[in-house]
Amino acid sequence: MALIQREKIVEGLVRILGKENVVTDEKVLKESSNDRYRKYEQVCGVYTQPIPAAVVYVHSTREVSDVLKFANGYQINLVPRTGHSAIEGGLETALKDSVVVDGSRMNRILKVDPYNMQVTCQCGVPLQELDDMLREKGYTTGHSPQSKPLAQMGGLVATRSIGQFSTLYGGIEDLVVGLEAVFPNGKICRIKNVPRRSVGPDIRHIVIGNEGALCFITEVTVKIFKYRPENNHFMGYTLDSMKVGFEVLREVMVEGYKPSIARLYDPADASMNFSHFAAPGKCVMIFMAEGPAGISAATEAGIREIVAKHPECEPVDPQYIEKWFSALNWGPEQIAKELEEIRATHNIGITTEVSGCWDCIYKIYETARNRIAEEVPDITMVGGHSSHSYSNGTNMYFVYYYNIVDCPPEEEINKYHNAINRIICEQVLKYGGSIAHHHGLGKARAHYVYQEYGSSYYMLDTLKKAFDPNGIMNMGTLIPLRK
Amino acid sequence: MRLLNLFFVVPDLEVLSERDWTCGPDLKVNTAFAPPDWNGFDESALELSLRVSDPPEALSGVQRCALTVGGPSCEPFLKTLAALQFDELIRVEPGDADLRFCPEAAARIVKAVAETKFRPDFILTGTREQISESACVPQVTAELLGWPCLTQVMDLHAAGRNRLRVVCAEDGGVSARIVSAPCVLGVGNAPGAYLRVPTLKDKIKYGKKAVTRMTLSDFPETEKPLADPDVRLRSLTRIRKERAGVILDAPSPEEKAEILWERYLEGRVRRG
Repeated sequence: MALIQREKIVEGLVRILGKENVVTDEKVLKESSNDRYRKYEQVCGVYTQPIPAAVVYVHSTREVSDVLKFANGYQINLVPRTGHSAIEGGLETALKDSVVVDGSRMNRILKVDPYNMQVTCQCGVPLQELDDMLREKGYTTGHSPQSKPLAQMGGLVATRSIGQFSTLYGGIEDLVVGLEAVFPNGKICRIKNVPRRSVGPDIRHIVIGNEGALCFITEVTVKIFKYRPENNHFMGYTLDSMKVGFEVLREVMVEGYKPSIARLYDPADASMNFSHFAAPGKCVMIFMAEGPAGISAATEAGIREIVAKHPECEPVDPQYIEKWFSALNWGPEQIAKELEEIRATHNIGITTEVSGCWDCIYKIYETARNRIAEEVPDITMVGGHSSHSYSNGTNMYFVYYYNIVDCPPEEEINKYHNAINRIICEQVLKYGGSIAHHHGLGKARAHYVYQEYGSSYYMLDTLKKAFDPNGIMNMGTLIPLRK
Repeated sequence: MRLLNLFFVVPDLEVLSERDWTCGPDLKVNTAFAPPDWNGFDESALELSLRVSDPPEALSGVQRCALTVGGPSCEPFLKTLAALQFDELIRVEPGDADLRFCPEAAARIVKAVAETKFRPDFILTGTREQISESACVPQVTAELLGWPCLTQVMDLHAAGRNRLRVVCAEDGGVSARIVSAPCVLGVGNAPGAYLRVPTLKDKIKYGKKAVTRMTLSDFPETEKPLADPDVRLRSLTRIRKERAGVILDAPSPEEKAEILWERYLEGRVRRG
């Protein structure tokens, strides 16, 4: 709880940033009190979270430092944000008189360095703009999450984002080479850009994935890669069972192939995406190989050879996959359309992403899916896909839709969404996976943090206490609020 | 009350890229790579059909028949309608016949189903089709049956036995009238009329209803309009709807706004 009144908070922020950068418009404040975790509340215009005192726009690292020092002195909860595309409650203002610190106007690309193959940009640079610019020059970040049209660099790093081509390029943690961040006491820390270091723990990882709960990311430097879409090879297959699909994915990864895309859809999810070529009840598996022509061709040949050992996998015209993939990303238009449909049908779709090693991922998938179908009312679809694979395991992206029946907007989250999340997290923890693969814990899954971390929770707790002793950084995210 | 819905399953053209819009020698754009979807207007018509049973005016004992003309890709859509408790499901397989630009063929199928199989009080269908946009299937159907027809239907509710309260868009406004059976209703832009989604339990309980599968040979009345259509397709030209755009170049948003006002808005506002 802040030590000063709401009005004094605003006055202090105006002194630091100027009136034009401190927004107290009620509509803006309400819309800034949550994110797409409370999608149905957004649709209904119902706001259940404490309304923040202000949304402030910062333009420089110095301003960020001044705002954090001010908030630290008066114990004001800050919620850092850039693209506002979060979907796990990470942007909810959980405490009274919070302040949303918006870095989206720190949007300069500072240095494109094709010789060292890296690009440095401020936190508010939209990924789409950055990657479009790079592609015109023949390069790419290799990072392409579905939120690409919305997300900005600071938020992507803060949430440990992952892109659709991760199997080749890795997650954002594999791409960030250096960064700048501001801590609650105003201290500005820079981690220099080097190819690798052996100088103690890799402190980038204190910042990457901190979800605004430890510091505010102001600048990042990420790797870039040559962009060669002319070498892309797409492959698609239909098959009968997820079990076989996981086995094929495993073989591809274990044999050392690096497709940029390796995905496996269960029949329910496949029917939503691939009904134009996959018969009802069929799973769909897709791959894309990219890179230098020789490597791309060899990757395709190797994968085809592995899949051919599984007779139930039937190849489909690669054009189906290429066309489908080109229309996958979500921008403002898709979100607006989705909100309109939810308003009309009261049918809502949500996703929850988890991960597990090869020996448990199928059990996680099967048991969670069955429990959701049996235990949660009004379910209209439950399924999912694997979209990011590693040599030791893969992720599972649960996709589920439900009708909201006899339920006021403020109760929807507990009646349906949290009930489904609980089932998924229980099954994941039971079989030894991780409850969040790339959306972040946010506030939606923060209360599972103790079970997720186990004995290593000590390390997270110590980091929080050390860097944020006054509890001003996005409280309730990563570590749940004490009631 | 008995309601017959004609609907079409169409490719989702939004996924086509610029270079996909090329016409083959058969005068067709290849849409095989586009997932199937409801024709938007037909989807609204199906939802409005279900609303007749919704409270507060809920009418009990409504019988619904869903009729489509299309290939096997229509089957999952029929299953969805089965789960939504449509009572009869009919798919007419067109084979190689090209029904585009031949609204009379579709209308004759509806007429035959209406007269011999289902005997509806009302027929509902979208005002327009996605592909040919002939926008006259409801009217032609009504003419063949000798029934009245209302188009641009936006909403409807039960209004007693064999009567519906129908809301239609009209030039400059909206009309609402009580309509007695029989009548053909062409559903236009019906805001918010997305088809409801059946639950998994409903899919299990009702989704396995049998589909009556027929072919065009079951409808000899379609032979003539298909063999000798009123309109012959000679060429296709893409309708371009792009609008010109100008990027305002100035150092700050304030200066951009000033340019926008001075160059593009001030004159119009003052003239207005």
